[in-house]
Amino acid sequence: MFLAIRELKHSKLRYLLIGLIMVLVALLVFIISGLANGLSSDNASSIQNMKADYFVMEHDSKNKLNRSIISMEKLDEIRASADVKAAEGLGQMMITLNKIGSSEKTDVTIFATDASGILAPKVIEGTNYDNKKQGEVVADRSLKEVGYKLGDSLKDDLSDKVFTIVGFTEKQSYSHSPVVYMNVKGWQEINPALKNQEKDSISTIAVQMDSKAEENVRESLPEGVTLISKEESLQSIPGYKEEQGTLKMMIAFLFVIAGFVLAVFFYVITLQKTNQFGVLKALGANTGYLAKSIVGQVMLLAVTCIAISVALTYGVTLIMPEGMPFELSADLVIKYSVLLLVVSVLGSLLSLYRVAKIDAIEAIGRVS
Amino acid sequence: MMGEKLLFENVSKIYGEGDNKVIALDNISLNVKAGEFVAIVGPSGSGKSTFLSIAGALLSPSKGRLLLDDEDITTLSPKELTRVRLEKIGFVFQSSNLVPYLTVRDQLLLLSELLGKQDKKTVKKADELLSHLGLGHRANHLPEALSGGERQRVAIARSLMNDPEIILADEPTASLDSKRGRDVVEMLAHEVKSRNKAAIMVTHDERMLDLCDRVVNITDGKVFG
Repeated sequence: MFLAIRELKHSKLRYLLIGLIMVLVALLVFIISGLANGLSSDNASSIQNMKADYFVMEHDSKNKLNRSIISMEKLDEIRASADVKAAEGLGQMMITLNKIGSSEKTDVTIFATDASGILAPKVIEGTNYDNKKQGEVVADRSLKEVGYKLGDSLKDDLSDKVFTIVGFTEKQSYSHSPVVYMNVKGWQEINPALKNQEKDSISTIAVQMDSKAEENVRESLPEGVTLISKEESLQSIPGYKEEQGTLKMMIAFLFVIAGFVLAVFFYVITLQKTNQFGVLKALGANTGYLAKSIVGQVMLLAVTCIAISVALTYGVTLIMPEGMPFELSADLVIKYSVLLLVVSVLGSLLSLYRVAKIDAIEAIGRVS
Repeated sequence: MMGEKLLFENVSKIYGEGDNKVIALDNISLNVKAGEFVAIVGPSGSGKSTFLSIAGALLSPSKGRLLLDDEDITTLSPKELTRVRLEKIGFVFQSSNLVPYLTVRDQLLLLSELLGKQDKKTVKKADELLSHLGLGHRANHLPEALSGGERQRVAIARSLMNDPEIILADEPTASLDSKRGRDVVEMLAHEVKSRNKAAIMVTHDERMLDLCDRVVNITDGKVFG
């Protein structure tokens, strides 16, 4: 580090400029990952937070909740399996609700489940809906933030049914819309897809079980249904895969860019210093010493830049507008910081190769 | 063998093969004793630089043997040669070739750093060397702030830092006017004598030869004198 630190101090502007690029790239990595996380939970927090490991879907539904219809009888069959710890039926549909007494309309996702079952929402205000009583719903808190209150009445335009908000829950969204919970009966009445179905039906069956039991359960499934993991069910939420894929691709590219920017910068600097490295080698510096010096510089630069970016990222979150979907866990920051550092060091390998090739004899005047 | 710091035994260096073969050094034998300051002169392309590169353990001879401080360095690996250069050879290059971002003191300390023993003692030694060569007031300056003569004096101080057996100078006066050039060579000669080191200087400048104990002429790869 003798040479590394002294050179950094001497060529401040040069390293400041490359450092600035690193800070910006790292900042972008953190902000986009925060956004990807935030959007992911804004999109699908209801599924992410659901106390279920697997979902049973109708075989031809292509894993899409809104296409899946399963008869209620199958719930009992699934529950009967020894590998299944618990299972609960869930009805889902997307509708537009009209606030009675105003022209306001809101797109929501209806989740219908047993009010005392494992999927029942955690009520943070008001009371839970009743399994027997029709017309009671528990809505996600985001509806409250746009002006809905306990006791407000909402009308479904399609079926002309009216619902009353009796409680609020939190962190429940599906496909970027707030989730409204109600009992299964209410859902069956307003779901046009069930009009011609005789039987008592639901959309899916959420299952709690060990991943080791997956094969067993899959084999003993009733006819016409299929088993998917929670992750697969997230991927099949409309837009989820596309949204996350785009952001993940950007992050991946940023890592590649960070590596290349550093690689090129240090390579050019190393080329510039070929003669100097020749002299150092003639004086008795071995390649290992010079390599350590370069890697030391890269690490020092990368660590400083990443630290600044992390600080800036948390600074930026403070001035972000309320309601912006942004979530950054310490875990992820650490993971990406380490990855950036690794990429930076990988980028310096090109320079090390160059240094290894430099011959000490370059120091002597005119030797061929 | 006592007192012989550097010994060339029938050393040849041949570049290329067949029709492209160039004999840079042809069967050279030479010895340099402790306290001796030898000048190597000769026209361009005569093989002076090749000679210096071999003496400096930067290049291996094609034939013959090379003994430095009674150790045969002909058969050493590149890694061992690097060690030999660090411990036993002091270099003064043509245009001083100081590291641009190191202060004068750090130029010297770098040599101890490479040896892996940088401490208070080496700092003291560097400061002593610098003030001895009249550079005490320049210790915290960067090379860019120094004159050409001062830079070469720093290079001489650097070459002495690790207490080498032999000092090799590659046209140390090339970038200096004759007055400053002479000062530098005088200083080099004085240090070699007082410290009982051996030194070889390749030079074009005939006005410096009276400061040397012996002048060796290389022409077409052969030694005269």
